[in-house]
Amino acid sequence: MKILVGGWFTLPRLGTDAFSAMMKQGVVYDKKLGFKLDSATDMELAVRTISSALGEEVELTVRCFICGDEACPGCPYIEVCDRRKVSPLCLCEKHAPEKGAYALYQKTFEDSAGASARRTAR
Amino acid sequence: MWVEKYRPRRTSEMVGNEEARIAVSIWLEKWKPRSKPMLIVGPPGTGKTTLVTLLAGESGLNMVALNASDVRTKEKLGRRIGEATKTVSLFGGRTLIFLDEVDGLLGRSDYGGVEFIKDAVKETMNPIIMAANDPDADEIKKLGAACTTVRFRAPPPREVELYLRMIAREEDFEVSDEELRRCVKTAGGDLRQAINSLQSRGGDGARSYKDVSLGIAQGLNAFFEAPDAVSAVDALRQTALQPIEKVREIQKSVLKAELPPETLARALETLSRADMLMGKIMRTQQWRLLRYLDGMLAQELLPLLRGSNVRYIGTGDLPFPVLLRIWNDSKKVKELSRRYAAAGHTGAGSARTQDLPYIFSLCSDAEFREKLETTLDLDETFDKFLQKEAGR
Repeated sequence: MKILVGGWFTLPRLGTDAFSAMMKQGVVYDKKLGFKLDSATDMELAVRTISSALGEEVELTVRCFICGDEACPGCPYIEVCDRRKVSPLCLCEKHAPEKGAYALYQKTFEDSAGASARRTAR
Repeated sequence: MWVEKYRPRRTSEMVGNEEARIAVSIWLEKWKPRSKPMLIVGPPGTGKTTLVTLLAGESGLNMVALNASDVRTKEKLGRRIGEATKTVSLFGGRTLIFLDEVDGLLGRSDYGGVEFIKDAVKETMNPIIMAANDPDADEIKKLGAACTTVRFRAPPPREVELYLRMIAREEDFEVSDEELRRCVKTAGGDLRQAINSLQSRGGDGARSYKDVSLGIAQGLNAFFEAPDAVSAVDALRQTALQPIEKVREIQKSVLKAELPPETLARALETLSRADMLMGKIMRTQQWRLLRYLDGMLAQELLPLLRGSNVRYIGTGDLPFPVLLRIWNDSKKVKELSRRYAAAGHTGAGSARTQDLPYIFSLCSDAEFREKLETTLDLDETFDKFLQKEAGR
């Protein structure tokens, strides 16, 4: 199973124990939308719980910080990057480092920080 | 050093942990007296301290920072930050209180540091941010329940590459994609190491700490066989291991070799000093001190090992009999400190660190040993152990 960190996904009924373990591990749950792994989730444990409850391998994939698209396809570090251990936003092929995206990355951060602050103020 | 030159000056210049950085920044902006404190957890070198320092600057706050591994008692904490938690400036200016590495404070109930934090958090007039390395420690989990917790992780490799490319561009330094990616991969998510590695390829002649070109066995055996200290340092710097792992692997090799007891004792003493230096570097984040680590190993340890059969054998653990001895001894020390603490009305931790060394040296006297065994109700296995410790 492939899970996009920061995106909603659904799971079949896994039982109370698995559900409560996932909640303790910081998995977000919404009755309508399903489950979500985010920066506050203990990824290693959550992946282990989901994987053992489902009985299949769970592969994490992360979003691009700049555009929100899935970032992992085409990444030259895919073999060495442990997505359970790195921070959950990255850069996609379109905004790859070789395309000089640092200024855009900084601007996106400033915009996101400003937008989040405004959202919290409301 | 590029690491210093390109140290982020604003939070937007950092890479990785975007959501976490934003969360901490908003928490600080919205902070009111009696808000929950902030706890940032994550492995060393992920930017926790840098973020807090930059945020204080950007928010125009004074900052009182304290490494909780160094100051642990309630009294000392009170002296250092007690006033800062209770006062604001004449014009209402606040002070950001930053307690780094609180892991060192927890699990030490006998020192009273935890109680101090709990009280300070309730009464504080100023924002408190704490940082810890191990999110899975029980004490950190408990502390986290009373705090707003944010997790820090290593930046993903692609973002490390983004930062390296920015530096290469600023330095007008042409580097191939392949070489740049090698720097990123060998750094294993540590931005500082990646920058050092890039600088070593920058042609300024200085070999960086992490200019890796030798495998573990090749590098460590080159160190053990080095004809002089300069070649030994060179071999160590090229070995594909983190500094702390180098000390551990060398220690394992030294323990596996059959060295005369006196040489072994002196070698272990040097390794212990190297380990303490590493501890200081980790605690204080003074990475520039790393340059002395290899020097210490090459100049102090290597002469002791000359002519011996010390070789790096493999990544396996210590031989089982040695491990067994270590486990048994540590069980005995633990049990002894527990009983001593109960009898002496002190904490087990302070009994272990402060009192036991003296007790052990007094144990060379059979009469004292006997009295101690009776008082603490120790069985005969402890007698052998105490004799062994007294003989050291």
